[in-house]
Amino acid sequence: MDLAYTPEQQAFRAEVREWMAANVPVGALVTLEREDGYRQHVAWERRLASGNWGMVTWPEAYGGRGLDLIQWLIFEEEYWRAGAPNRANQNGIFLLGPTIMEFGTDEQKARFLTPMAKGEVIWAQAWSEPGAGSDMAAIASRAVRDGDHYVLTGQKTWSSRAAYADWGFGLFRTEEGSKRHKGLSFLLFDLNAPGITRRPIRQLHGDTGFAELFFDEVRVPVANRISGEGEGWNVAMATAGFERGLMLRSPARFQATAARLVELCRAQGSRVSPGAREAVSAAWKGAQAYAYNTYMVASRIIAGGHIGAEASLNKIFWSELDRAMHRTAMQILGAAAELRHFADGEVNAWLEGYIFSLSGPIYAGSNEIQRNIIAERLLGLPRQGAG
Amino acid sequence: MDFRLTEDQRALVDGVREFLSGTHGAEVLRALDGEPTRRSSAIAASLVEMGLPGLMVPADQGGLGLGTVEAVLIAIEAGRAGLSEPLIDGAFVAAPLLTNAGGQDALLAAIASGEARVALQHPANPWVADLDGATHVLSARAGGLLIGTAAAQHPADSVDPLRRLSKPVTVAGTPVAGSSDDLLNRAALMAAAQALGAADAMLALSVDYAGTRQQFGEPIGAFQAVKHHLASATVAIEFARPVLLRAACAVEHGEAHASVHVSHAKLAACDAAVAMAETAIQVHGAMGYTYEVDLHFWMKRAWAMAGAWGDRAFHLSRIDAAVIGGAIPVGPAETFA
Repeated sequence: MDLAYTPEQQAFRAEVREWMAANVPVGALVTLEREDGYRQHVAWERRLASGNWGMVTWPEAYGGRGLDLIQWLIFEEEYWRAGAPNRANQNGIFLLGPTIMEFGTDEQKARFLTPMAKGEVIWAQAWSEPGAGSDMAAIASRAVRDGDHYVLTGQKTWSSRAAYADWGFGLFRTEEGSKRHKGLSFLLFDLNAPGITRRPIRQLHGDTGFAELFFDEVRVPVANRISGEGEGWNVAMATAGFERGLMLRSPARFQATAARLVELCRAQGSRVSPGAREAVSAAWKGAQAYAYNTYMVASRIIAGGHIGAEASLNKIFWSELDRAMHRTAMQILGAAAELRHFADGEVNAWLEGYIFSLSGPIYAGSNEIQRNIIAERLLGLPRQGAG
Repeated sequence: MDFRLTEDQRALVDGVREFLSGTHGAEVLRALDGEPTRRSSAIAASLVEMGLPGLMVPADQGGLGLGTVEAVLIAIEAGRAGLSEPLIDGAFVAAPLLTNAGGQDALLAAIASGEARVALQHPANPWVADLDGATHVLSARAGGLLIGTAAAQHPADSVDPLRRLSKPVTVAGTPVAGSSDDLLNRAALMAAAQALGAADAMLALSVDYAGTRQQFGEPIGAFQAVKHHLASATVAIEFARPVLLRAACAVEHGEAHASVHVSHAKLAACDAAVAMAETAIQVHGAMGYTYEVDLHFWMKRAWAMAGAWGDRAFHLSRIDAAVIGGAIPVGPAETFA
């Protein structure tokens, strides 16, 4: 156990810090959940890519820097320390990219990864359906083989980024009459293809970060299938592992929120209740614990280990931490918490963040599902009705 | 930067876990609970044979010369086993302090050989643990440290049947170099480690019980409500573990904010352990409310560790002062500040 950064790691930190200081936009961007804000965020993605900072852990061949996970953590710390914007490219970075690296063909890697790293193609996920949320094996959307193409029919919902993004990925039933996990395939599709209709969904905060997707005989080349026909479930489970685990929520982001909360608490002085004050300390403790744990997992992975059901521990921890931190901020703000904008016109980011944090325990597999995974796969408890 | 245990550390943990599971176990704890002294000279001798009292004693004085991380790992195992003998305070707190103080070679050698046993006294504790049978007391009552002798007096009952308490005493002895804060931090770190080990043990007992106890025709562990209790406890335990190791490194290297990290570790581990105890008794149902199952030894150790070496209010106030007060830098690039 050696918790000191190497001179190389320190030099890397200095390099990131310098680039961020020179390039991070001054002033907050409009929210990513609105079309104008989305365009601003895509412009930022391209700026990051121009500095070769889009996908730092990816191989250089695909526009990355080939960095290890400790360097990734350092990059993330400097990214959030600099107050850089949320990533429009999140689904690509954390979900699809790692999936293509693990399961894609060389041709698919060449075709999809580099444009992703450059911010030229922004991806939306199409996981859920009206009848298949946390129970993803209930997927009903179909893909029927027709020569070199699949013909897609059905509906996806709550698809993050899908209102504005360029391409999407999701599971479709390629074997007629198949049940549950069997007969599913993982497909990539152009969101502007004929037959796709996008209907933006207005979320709790009033903006349209989600969309419903309707597929009416959409033709998708077979070459857009990741892994084998009928192998989609295994691929999706790996993707979900990336989503729950290490990658989706970097600790630095929560440390940044905790630091803002500490500032808010200091600014409000003696009007902060003892309970809220304790919750502010708890925010720091939680964000630090999440960071240590992530460094620990990263160290293990660098040494050849894998992240398995432990990913569910992470998902529960960060989602509940994020909600608790924003709830605490709302309590400290008191009557001002209900304002969409403060008197000086500044967006009430704590309110926006609180509303967003409420989605954390739901998406990427609800926390109830995560607790089942922990109980059954980590603790070895029996499944109900099994015995 | 490598936040993993080394192979040597893992081997040490495995060896000690196996050894303690042989010398302890619930039947042994039950038998000791019936003894007036609660102690076993045979177990004490076996600890010496294993080299544990000398873990942190320098090799020149007959010890193993290992560091705070190793001591924390062994303290976790002590908590997991429900260790009955007073090992931790003398071997993992007093020994490194006496080593740093200098001039205590003979005493350190006696600690390593098991001839000397040092109890600890500090204003953070209203009671002194395991003073009976101790040959020395390291006392932090006068701001600095004092090593000497004293007799136990006015024993107090602990909820933990294997823990023996005495009122604070007047120590006759000589000052040694060192700070009372350092003593408190090391002892609080070890209390946190024991609490975490107890939590591990309670989780294992509860999972085992939930997997076998049948109700409504199924093991109760098949029910989602029971699963979710145990999963939540697992999250708390697993996120306390790296905090504890991070604090061990801070103490080992004398980092500027070591006391903040110790307080974090004490809160994380003891909060997890107390929550685990409540979960464990819920999972065990009425059986958990009795001496019939083994759970109670570990629940009681967790409660004892939660209050000892700075209670929750004390450690919360240290975090509050440092984090909100601004003594420690907070934010994304300050993970290891």
